Amino acid sequence: MLKNYIVVALRTLRRNLGYTSLNVIGLALGITCSLLLFLVIRHELSYDRFHSKADRTYRINVDRVTANGPENSAGTPFPMLATIRASLPELTPATHVFNEEGGTFTVLSTNDREPPRKFREERPILFVEPEFFDLFDFETNGVNARQAIKDVNTVLLTQSIAEKYFPGENPVGRVIRMNNVVNLRVTGVIPDAPANSDLPYLMLVDYESSKTVNSFVTDDSWNSTYSNQQIYFALAPGASKTQAEDRLNEIASKLRDRAPGEKYRYTFQPLSEVHFDERYSNFNGRTVDKTTLWALGLIGLFLVLVASINFVNLATAQALRRAKEVGMRKVLGASKGQLMLQYLSETGLITLVALVLSVMFAELLLPYLNQLLELEIQFSIARDAQVALFLLVVLVVVTLFAGFYPALVLSGFQPISALKSKATTARAAGIPLRRALVVLQFTICQILIICTIIVHHQMEYFRSASLGFDKEAVVVIPVPSGKAKDLMALRPQLEAHSAVHASTFALSPPSSNIGLNTSFKYDDFSVERNYSVNLKIGDEHYLKTFNIPLLAGRVYQKSDTIREFMVNETFLRHVGVKNPEEALGKQLQVNGGQSTGKIVGVVKNFHLASLREEIQPVVMSTATSFYFTYNVKIEQSEAKAALAHLQRVWSTAYPDNVFYYDFLDDTIARFYEGEERQAHLFKIFSVIAIIIGCLGLYGLVSFMVAQRTKEVGVRKVLGASSASIVGLFSKDFAALVLIAFLIAAPISYYSMSKWLQDFTYRIDIGSWVFLAAGALTLLIALTTVSVQALKAAFSNPVRALKTE
Amino acid sequence: MLKTVNLQKKYTTDEVETTALVNVNLHVKQGEFLAIMGPSGCGKSTLLNIIGLLDNPTSGEFYFLDKEISKFSERQRANLRKEHLGFVFQSFNLIDELTVYENVELPLIYLKVGNAERKQRVEQVLEQMQIAHRRNHFPQQLSGGQQQRVAIARAVVSKPKLLLADEPTGNLDSAHGQEVMQLLSTLNEQGTTIVMVTHSPTDADYAHRIVNLFDGQIISENVKELAIL
Repeated sequence: MLKNYIVVALRTLRRNLGYTSLNVIGLALGITCSLLLFLVIRHELSYDRFHSKADRTYRINVDRVTANGPENSAGTPFPMLATIRASLPELTPATHVFNEEGGTFTVLSTNDREPPRKFREERPILFVEPEFFDLFDFETNGVNARQAIKDVNTVLLTQSIAEKYFPGENPVGRVIRMNNVVNLRVTGVIPDAPANSDLPYLMLVDYESSKTVNSFVTDDSWNSTYSNQQIYFALAPGASKTQAEDRLNEIASKLRDRAPGEKYRYTFQPLSEVHFDERYSNFNGRTVDKTTLWALGLIGLFLVLVASINFVNLATAQALRRAKEVGMRKVLGASKGQLMLQYLSETGLITLVALVLSVMFAELLLPYLNQLLELEIQFSIARDAQVALFLLVVLVVVTLFAGFYPALVLSGFQPISALKSKATTARAAGIPLRRALVVLQFTICQILIICTIIVHHQMEYFRSASLGFDKEAVVVIPVPSGKAKDLMALRPQLEAHSAVHASTFALSPPSSNIGLNTSFKYDDFSVERNYSVNLKIGDEHYLKTFNIPLLAGRVYQKSDTIREFMVNETFLRHVGVKNPEEALGKQLQVNGGQSTGKIVGVVKNFHLASLREEIQPVVMSTATSFYFTYNVKIEQSEAKAALAHLQRVWSTAYPDNVFYYDFLDDTIARFYEGEERQAHLFKIFSVIAIIIGCLGLYGLVSFMVAQRTKEVGVRKVLGASSASIVGLFSKDFAALVLIAFLIAAPISYYSMSKWLQDFTYRIDIGSWVFLAAGALTLLIALTTVSVQALKAAFSNPVRALKTE
Repeated sequence: MLKTVNLQKKYTTDEVETTALVNVNLHVKQGEFLAIMGPSGCGKSTLLNIIGLLDNPTSGEFYFLDKEISKFSERQRANLRKEHLGFVFQSFNLIDELTVYENVELPLIYLKVGNAERKQRVEQVLEQMQIAHRRNHFPQQLSGGQQQRVAIARAVVSKPKLLLADEPTGNLDSAHGQEVMQLLSTLNEQGTTIVMVTHSPTDADYAHRIVNLFDGQIISENVKELAIL
């Protein structure tokens, strides 16, 4: 019996090759997308799930509530871990993980003949304790990693770094120098960190060495935290998380100073949430919103749904053609169940073919997707039970969803009427359903189009919105920590080139991930304020270089330490000053009273971070010891020459370091990488949804045209023009697009309003977006319909009437 | 074999009620060859469809193999059909996607006849219908006469007690038509009961008995043996 079904199925599919191809291509596209999205979602959900203690591993975060609003960080005070080890034995194993975001490495040669080789790394170098390996199960390839970083100044290299620094050599026992301050002895080579971990190390260095690399890693203060200094631990089985959390806060409250009115609490964040909670970030610098994953899953589902709808539409439209076969089989005694099974197995076969194609497509497309999303997803159907299961589920669900209704219609034909091709019941029953399904397809397409336009528009806004300073053609060159003076001495040479317009030494450019927050006192110092201000450190050329307008007063004078201040408009609003002139000459105290000075100027507001965030109160001042960057405004058209010049002068100041730079607008663009990727994905998938929808529409219309051949013939004989024939078919679909629009518009408005709420600075959703999406869908639908309708319109009416 | 008592069939559309059969009383004996004749629209095909269990009467009784079956469900009728009935249509109604062999094999598949027996029976009936050499061809590759021979082969392969033929020669030229009628006649001689609807007096001549239908009623019957006498 089954053989018979398959034989008939194959021959039917071959005979209706056009119809089969539409179905197979549509389904294959839909399934490919859903498979790729499945892989992406699975990858994102797999972060750090592979550690055996993952379920009871936590990170210590701190939640503060200040007048500025909530402040969340994963940074911890430096002495905290020692306290935990002494007083909270249930938190074990526990380890520091200190992240140094890249660095300069010098490979010292073993003889005097070869010069040392220098490398610049931009990705995390983690400083960890031996307990790191008790807590996490990273692959060590037989190396006793715990032992290897037990001593101070030791380093474990990953495979790729070992090959890069020591090609063809055994690195164990060799020495590399980090940031020109510390020599590290290589004690082993371990595999690269897995792609699905938020602890993405290039090297693992013993924790003690972090104190040499960073002079501010101190051991004594509970008051300072650094966001790259984190603590991970496992909670002993059976221990209470809440109780342990309470104990830690109780101990901490006695050790740390508290600002008035400040709320402060240490919390334990499960390892499984580190990848998803953007408030605390992680060492990958990338968190994923679970809502985004849900949205992607939904899109995957939508695409399969749209393709399945094609199937249902085409199959029911085509049912009439197969009426005779159904009738004859019934006459010969086939039961309804047998017929349903037959048509379901046909659908199953088509789905299977589409599935095989999808796997091939997915393998071809995965590298591009990885590139787009900057992920390293791999899949092999043979060795991946989850993917196999996913595909099996898709096969069964699509077959049932797409095949059930057509099978029901076909098997429900009355044998006599079916034999006489009078299967009118099917036509009557099929049409409202087909319309509803087409409406559903149009709705999905329009939602995707509207979302794409809005996301794209917001991205454009990010790119074009005025940030309150010039970001174009500004080069940001890092300066070795504490050595700014060496380069400052060379300022005349640096600025001697004609392509260099202005330059400034500073902690960081106006918009930056790096910032200092400080408590402060204003004017008479009597009022304690429970919020902090952003302290921007830069020399007297800062405003000129970034073209930040001064509202009142003057720029502070050159100084090696904090002496004079400038503040921004938000600062004035916070301290209740209306007129900028009023603030001039007022006293200001920052850094817990360590630095005092006068306000000499007020600057116009500029953005400190991404447009997701509001502009904070800013206090600006000078302090040579905090100059970590040299920012240069250059002539864009002569960038190459300017950079070469800067590198030459820079290298004379720092002969042991590696010169590198970033363009400020690139850095700022990276703030929106996540959204940019989302926008890309939306674009790709809405285009695919539209393609699938058009395939189905094209097929559906061609069947409708075929069915109405006689009607078209009669109309033409009676004098109908070709245009009116096209109109006849288009009218129906235009109405369906309109209904879909009425459903899609509110849904997309609602969801995009929610999405935009994440951004403090955002576009307004204009009605034009909806009109454009509606018009676009209408255009696409009518074009698709017209192609087929024109064929009918231009056909010879005599032939149409004869065939009936 | 079959008996109808006051059989009625009405078709109702939204506004119009059409009576297709009025009080039809018909008795067909085992081994008989009956022809139903009459002008277009007189209800011949409706009667044949009811006898063939493809349709239910509106009222009246219908006995098949001594069972009253006018109220049988579709499933019950489907079971009776596949076990006891064979059909031959004017337009052959072969399944285009299946070869000659597969078309003939189909009823046996639905009857769940085992593989070996199926093969043997299909071969046998193909030989009998002199179409075995075409067993791997598709219907469109055959002439009308050949197609109808395949249809007959398909109708009789399940050894039905009753063979129903609806204008079996309607789409054939006279030579092929005669060939088909010869086949039916032979089958009847071998014991198959046949009920045939036809326009053609020549075809009707092959039958033992002719029933004339007009506006849904039996208006006359002539039994061939009597006519000869």
